[in-house]
Amino acid sequence: MNVLEFKDELFQKGSEKGFKDMELYYEKSDRFVCAIDKGEVDQFTTAEVTGVSFRGVYADQMGYAYTEKLDESSIEFLIENALENASVLESEDVEEIYEGDSNYKDISFSSEALKSVTTEEKINFMKELDKEIYAADERVVATNFFTMQSVDVEKAMYNSKGLSLEDDQNYLVYMVIVIVEENDVTKSGVHIEVVSDWGKVNAKESAHKAVQEAVSYLNPLETDDKFYPVILRQDAARSLLNTFVTTFSAETAQQGMSKLKEKVGSKIAGDNINLVDDPFLKNRMGSRTFDAEGVATEKLNVVENGTLTTLLHNRKTAKKDGVKTTGHASKASYKGTVNVAPSNFYIEPGSQSYDELVQGLDEGIVVTNLQGLHSGVNAISGDFSLAANGYYVKEGKIQGPTNLMTIAGNFFELLNEVNEVGSDLEFGPSTVGAPSLLLKGLSVTFE
Amino acid sequence: MLNQALVQDVIHEALTTGGDFAEVFVEDTFKDNLLLQGGRIDKSLSGRDFGVGIRVYNGFHSAYTYTTDFSREGLLKTARQAAQAINGNAQVNGQPFQHEQAPVIHEINQLPQSVEKARKVNVMKNAADIAGHYHNSISQVRVNLLDEEQNVLIANSDGKFVEDKRVHSRMSIAAIASNEHDMETGFYGPGAVQGFEFFENLDLNHYAKEAARIAVTNLGADPCPSGKFPVIIDNEFGGVIFHEACGHGLEATSVAKGKSAFANKVGEQVAPDIVTYIDDGTIPNEWGSINVDDEGNKPQKNVLIENGILKGYLVDQLNGRIMDTEPTGSGRRESYRYAPTSRMTNTYIAPGESTPEEIIANTEHGIYARYMGGGSVNPATGDYNFAINEAYLVKNGKIDKPVRGATLIGNGPKTLQTVDMVGNNLGHGAGMCGSLSGSIPVNVGQPTLRVSEITVGGRKEDA
Repeated sequence: MNVLEFKDELFQKGSEKGFKDMELYYEKSDRFVCAIDKGEVDQFTTAEVTGVSFRGVYADQMGYAYTEKLDESSIEFLIENALENASVLESEDVEEIYEGDSNYKDISFSSEALKSVTTEEKINFMKELDKEIYAADERVVATNFFTMQSVDVEKAMYNSKGLSLEDDQNYLVYMVIVIVEENDVTKSGVHIEVVSDWGKVNAKESAHKAVQEAVSYLNPLETDDKFYPVILRQDAARSLLNTFVTTFSAETAQQGMSKLKEKVGSKIAGDNINLVDDPFLKNRMGSRTFDAEGVATEKLNVVENGTLTTLLHNRKTAKKDGVKTTGHASKASYKGTVNVAPSNFYIEPGSQSYDELVQGLDEGIVVTNLQGLHSGVNAISGDFSLAANGYYVKEGKIQGPTNLMTIAGNFFELLNEVNEVGSDLEFGPSTVGAPSLLLKGLSVTFE
Repeated sequence: MLNQALVQDVIHEALTTGGDFAEVFVEDTFKDNLLLQGGRIDKSLSGRDFGVGIRVYNGFHSAYTYTTDFSREGLLKTARQAAQAINGNAQVNGQPFQHEQAPVIHEINQLPQSVEKARKVNVMKNAADIAGHYHNSISQVRVNLLDEEQNVLIANSDGKFVEDKRVHSRMSIAAIASNEHDMETGFYGPGAVQGFEFFENLDLNHYAKEAARIAVTNLGADPCPSGKFPVIIDNEFGGVIFHEACGHGLEATSVAKGKSAFANKVGEQVAPDIVTYIDDGTIPNEWGSINVDDEGNKPQKNVLIENGILKGYLVDQLNGRIMDTEPTGSGRRESYRYAPTSRMTNTYIAPGESTPEEIIANTEHGIYARYMGGGSVNPATGDYNFAINEAYLVKNGKIDKPVRGATLIGNGPKTLQTVDMVGNNLGHGAGMCGSLSGSIPVNVGQPTLRVSEITVGGRKEDA
């Protein structure tokens, strides 16, 4: 049963059962994953997965159900369950099916060149990278999670109000954790690359970056616990921002779970902070021309010179706040319901490079990565206490790595205490991006 | 779910390039996920996950492919894609199937799909009422109810053809307490391998009140001091530290490649002799329990560390080949989208001699972690970090005032060495464990115990 046949039968049966407006969201993904360990292919996976999500208005509530099996039995399953789900819902806010906009940005996020890279080319590159990693430094003892993944996702959205939208995106990313050992002490470093142009992949360069990162944590210095000026390197800054990104959602605010509730128009950050959501960036994970409700997307300034100009909205939250949707309806996959999420959300870069930030520091700490982000933060209050790795800086120079540390602070306070915003904006494999940030200070405890 | 002749053909197809073993995993899962917040049912989602995973071995190499396309052509194509990654010379055809229904260790009374959603909603509202009325500072309650019926078929070229039905039910209760300046959360998330009877019999008065009490306690708490302290970790979910810091290092996934601190140490003292660490998938109806693992093997009670001596590992079939060891009923996966690997089920530190009161009375100055939060561990170094959801200072052998925002950091194998008191009050707590083969339900468990020194990170600037 193909998806269009499935849709027609589903909508007809749904209408017979009393659904008013209906939508079918379709997703098909092709995936390739390989992992390398000591020169050999350690994991090889290919997959083809199709799933659909049905939602429909019944007695003024939006009922949802999804399936990965496109057959007759699933049509019955979707309708029965969506109907029962709608019947138990007590949402005060009306969720609607949208007829669509007249114009959508004409831009493609799909790369035919990346799709044409063969399995053999991918595996050969990974094997070469593996060789380069071991050749780069004799202290390399192993690798972990050394994987390449390529994914091609086709999406489509059809509704009973006549909307029909399609999208096709693909990406290719590889990562490696390099494990190094010296004097019986083991350290590791993570390196991730999102490939936008296969012609520019460079195994030697990647290997050097990955190994350099791991080696940089060997032979830690003894440092005192205290309040230090801190540079959050771009990857650490990005992961921290990502953890608190839901506070910019109007949905979270309306649920009373965001400190930014009723802060639109107010200063929430220093003058040097600008936060932007841009759905049209090439080679970024969050790019989209339409959101999960079928609304045409656009670029949005969320924080301008420290002032919160808007929260992120879908149609439901916008209606409740009496504003226009910002096109941030989001559905993680057909397995989810429509909520609110950014497209590509980032802190606008400043002027100083990472090296310049370090050179400007008399004494301080560079934080290079954060752990425990899913547990060591209070997303509501903004408090965080996280395990971190990094370097000790004295007189403008990195002196060496620190022991494992915990850093503690508050996200909302931190937005007001950024002394310098770096120029090195990166997204990595994320929909959230940040440059390195020099912070006034954080409380640091070393193990 | 799929007929035997078709499954046999798929296995043949998967072995055409000389693989020495092939396996087919079929899954048809029904899920419900309901969310109540602000006193209203805000989300109710039902889903059907359906797919087929095919795995082929050639010696120590394997390939895995999966699909939602259940047509004959779709399945044979998926089998061929797996075969294409294998280059072997085994001449395996596949044994005739011995059809078997996995013996039911964990009885289910009311299948989730047979229960009206309105009845599920009633239980959720009760929980929200209890938490909401606990204290006037409770400003928001979120109750999430999840249930799942996973039907699986596991067939392989050794002739195995096992079917099983796995049922999971879980309720998580999150309460938020707030005043003018702060919002703090409290959480409790009990779960079991049971049907709707789990929710009907759940002691909401205990769980919902605890979630609210934790939030209210945190609201009035000072920031936690940082530094190095003796740390008393309470029972139940407190076991998460040893799950992350030791349990993962005992999985064949990391042991087979020599990437674990516990590799090649069977028979050696790896912990103080008061520590015995067990993984047991057979405990009736516990959240991490199984009737059969995802490779079709029976679960068992695996004693991993006995009186401080390392006894063995958790082993799946592929890593069992590499390690030349029998599998231990530990092959698990989230869904058809993952090849199985060695994972935990219900893992716990066995009870010791001390009472929890004795442990506190013997601690002059330290931290008492009543409820642990989540955390993570770097598998290469064993370095871990955990949040404490409810913490107190301990002064002169007594529990003193609550402190919030505490994090524990340290090194797993080292922390294991410094356990110096083990209580007699074993309890289990439900959690989701994420690893190579996806996110699976596991129990962590322990009695109240003390570690002589852990680094605590908090916001208070001087301890």
